[in-house]
Amino acid sequence: MSTTSGRSEARPAGEEPGGSLPAGSAGLTNPPGTPPRIAFADVSKYFGATVALDGVTFEVAPGEIVGLLGHNGAGKSTLINVASGALQPSTGRMLLDGRFMDSPSPAAMAEAGLCVVSQVPALIPGISILDNLFLGDKRRSTRAQRIERAHAALTEVGLGHLSLRTIASQLSVGERQLVDLARGLVRGDIRILLLDEPTAALGLPETANLHRLVRGFAASGTAVVYVSHRLPDIMDICSRAVVLNAGAVVLDASMDGLSLDDLAAALAPGFTKAESTTATPGEIVLGVHDPDPDGLELEFRAGEVVGIFGMAAGIEFDILTAAFGLGRNRKTTGLTFDLHGRPFTPRSPRQAIRAGVHLVPADRETDGLAHNLSARDNVMLPWFGSYARAGAIGRTTGVAAYEEGRTLFNVQGPPGTHSIDEFSGGNRQKHLIARWTLPRRPELLLLLQPTQGVDVGGKNDIIRAVQEYAAQGMCVVVASSESDEIMRMCHRAYVVYGHRHALIPAGADMEGQLLSTLLALAGDAVSTGGQAS
Amino acid sequence: MKTPTSEQVRLFLVRNGVLFALIALIAVFGVLNPRFLTVQNIQTILLQISELGLIALPVAFIVMQGTVDMSVGSVATLAAVAGGYTMVATGNPLAGVAVGLAVGVAAGAINGFLVAWVRLNPFVVTLGFLSAWGGLALFLTNGKTVSGLPKSFTALGSLSVLGIRLQIILLILAIALAWFILEHTARGREILAVGGSMRASHLMGLPVEGIKVSTYIVSGGVAAFVGLLLAAKLGAVSPVVGQGLEVDALTVVLLGGVAFEGGSGRISGIVYGLVFVGVLKNGLVILGVSAYLQTVLVGLTLVAAVLLDKTIQQAVGRAIATRGRRQAAAQRPTAAISD
Repeated sequence: MSTTSGRSEARPAGEEPGGSLPAGSAGLTNPPGTPPRIAFADVSKYFGATVALDGVTFEVAPGEIVGLLGHNGAGKSTLINVASGALQPSTGRMLLDGRFMDSPSPAAMAEAGLCVVSQVPALIPGISILDNLFLGDKRRSTRAQRIERAHAALTEVGLGHLSLRTIASQLSVGERQLVDLARGLVRGDIRILLLDEPTAALGLPETANLHRLVRGFAASGTAVVYVSHRLPDIMDICSRAVVLNAGAVVLDASMDGLSLDDLAAALAPGFTKAESTTATPGEIVLGVHDPDPDGLELEFRAGEVVGIFGMAAGIEFDILTAAFGLGRNRKTTGLTFDLHGRPFTPRSPRQAIRAGVHLVPADRETDGLAHNLSARDNVMLPWFGSYARAGAIGRTTGVAAYEEGRTLFNVQGPPGTHSIDEFSGGNRQKHLIARWTLPRRPELLLLLQPTQGVDVGGKNDIIRAVQEYAAQGMCVVVASSESDEIMRMCHRAYVVYGHRHALIPAGADMEGQLLSTLLALAGDAVSTGGQAS
Repeated sequence: MKTPTSEQVRLFLVRNGVLFALIALIAVFGVLNPRFLTVQNIQTILLQISELGLIALPVAFIVMQGTVDMSVGSVATLAAVAGGYTMVATGNPLAGVAVGLAVGVAAGAINGFLVAWVRLNPFVVTLGFLSAWGGLALFLTNGKTVSGLPKSFTALGSLSVLGIRLQIILLILAIALAWFILEHTARGREILAVGGSMRASHLMGLPVEGIKVSTYIVSGGVAAFVGLLLAAKLGAVSPVVGQGLEVDALTVVLLGGVAFEGGSGRISGIVYGLVFVGVLKNGLVILGVSAYLQTVLVGLTLVAAVLLDKTIQQAVGRAIATRGRRQAAAQRPTAAISD
């Protein structure tokens, strides 16, 4: 659907080794029947037990800016990797200008005019801008020609003031992204532009600048796919939105007439307000304090599930990892914690765990699981020391605790002696939460986006178990940048942006308030000159 | 009884590749020379591999935790030299053994400290000490053999219990102990976890640094023990007594299917690898192959072991992926999704 808009130089791919610059050079009206610049035809991708992409079909016309949305684990990164040629689809195909790409490699896709700009720009830090621009470029050219082309490309992306001899590591993240873009330009026309969370590390002026450039490319016929967590960015720049959930396209519609609420609903299908959710909060378990009197001041009580909602990759995770002894960063310097009213400054996860604080990390695969070990070992690993008799592990050590966890979380999959990797993503996540709750109960349970990349049934299992823990007196904190996750799990929630916060109290209508409060806090920060998170 | 899938069969073949190669090797040597398969020669082989086996076991744990120890040969030499001098000076074998072991433990602690706490590259650090301790042993002895060890000490080198040489008994006990530690203790699981994912282990609250240091200390201590054992067997301390042990140990460990990147390994595999290296060396001697050529062949075996390691990891990955996909297919459409 919807491949209407756009202007383009209607040239088939692969016919452009000359490498002229695109801006302003085009201008032909897209004749009817022009194939989409890039199309995905029933693309699926499997990784072991996980279905990362499930029959994805959509297309992007020349000149269109399509916003690609979805939660962590919805398949966005996989789709970007397939589009850039880094991953081969398990089934299905990709078409460029109506032609099938048989075995797309990164080199072939770059040749076809594809340029990827990601959150972490792919520049070699230790060499100059000039060398970065022509890295991997096999065309014969004199140094003078290169310098001329490099200048033209840099000027086009608004970096004309930089010396070509500047070493890449001296550039800001925003500048490096623009150099990435210029790299696409020196290769030739950018016919397809993939932006992967491009504004995650940018301030507001840099974001505005990037959006202006992207609009310019689109106006000259480039097909743009814009991946972002940030709904305001999507609302600002995209003409169409494609929403992925569980690897499948669940919404593909023009932005005209779409509201924030529509997008939020598409992002979280099967959304139902959690029942019960009347907590009987006990005493304060964790307090977070800011030296600045206007800054953060959060408290979390026994017997309740409290959310911390923030902008993606913002401070909401950093507060909890700091409270778990994983070190501070720029955003959390100066924050102080107290646990049961006493100052709490763990210097390592080990110390935090000893104090009864457990944390389920945001990145389950790299920070959470030991993929080389069995499912049961993954649950019992932190506790073998106390479960084992004189250090020895028998056949039955920890089995009871493990099986209790499987029942409580309704784990589906092979027996616990099998590798954790034989379980699906949702069931791996259940193992991770079981690790931090069953062999030993924490007093304070910190969950970082605990239901991301988990199917609807699995989400319900996790939410039910966590609320049961709270009912039994545990203090649970959920940090997330997905409003539906907070809504479904939490009794009340803090919204944080930088060091500002607002409380959405118990019983309030969270659904409407989370996003609007975050936007209001962000707007405040801008108007008072505050730094974006 | 379920029929195994082709993936499972391939995994079985690759995982036990060394065992099949070992059987083939024994058959070839047995045919080429009838003296090879005699009880006496088998005992000789066991005696020849006992010291190598003793040092290969802790090195296996070092590799499983995602590190490496290239210094064991020189630590063995230095410990034997230090212990030997102490015995000659005091006439007390116990004092010599204590000094030798202390040297090994200290060398292991230094390795561990630099690798775990200072976070230096384990290969480079231990390669440095391979050179440093080996050089120190040569410097202290001026390249000469230390002789005049007490009789009570050298007697241990040829001691037999119930007709079996002490070294062989120690090797069997060490294999049993290593198997127990790996399969049935918290520490065994923790070493595999650290080797599989250091970051996840840290977040689990495991004492990652402490685990690494203690494994290095054990490795250093065992290397010293092996150095003293060799000194007792040979009746004197050669300043190059442990030379090459580190390469042989690494060959045994990788041949035994321990993943060089850490996180997996089985004691049975290490035993196969050990016997393979022992049979290869012994068979070549019996066939009268030049000692220089033997070194060439052991080196090639190490390269083959790395190749085998890679093949095993690929086969394991494929097998898990296949099993997982079948799992996912069984659960769809309610299967969980993630990338």
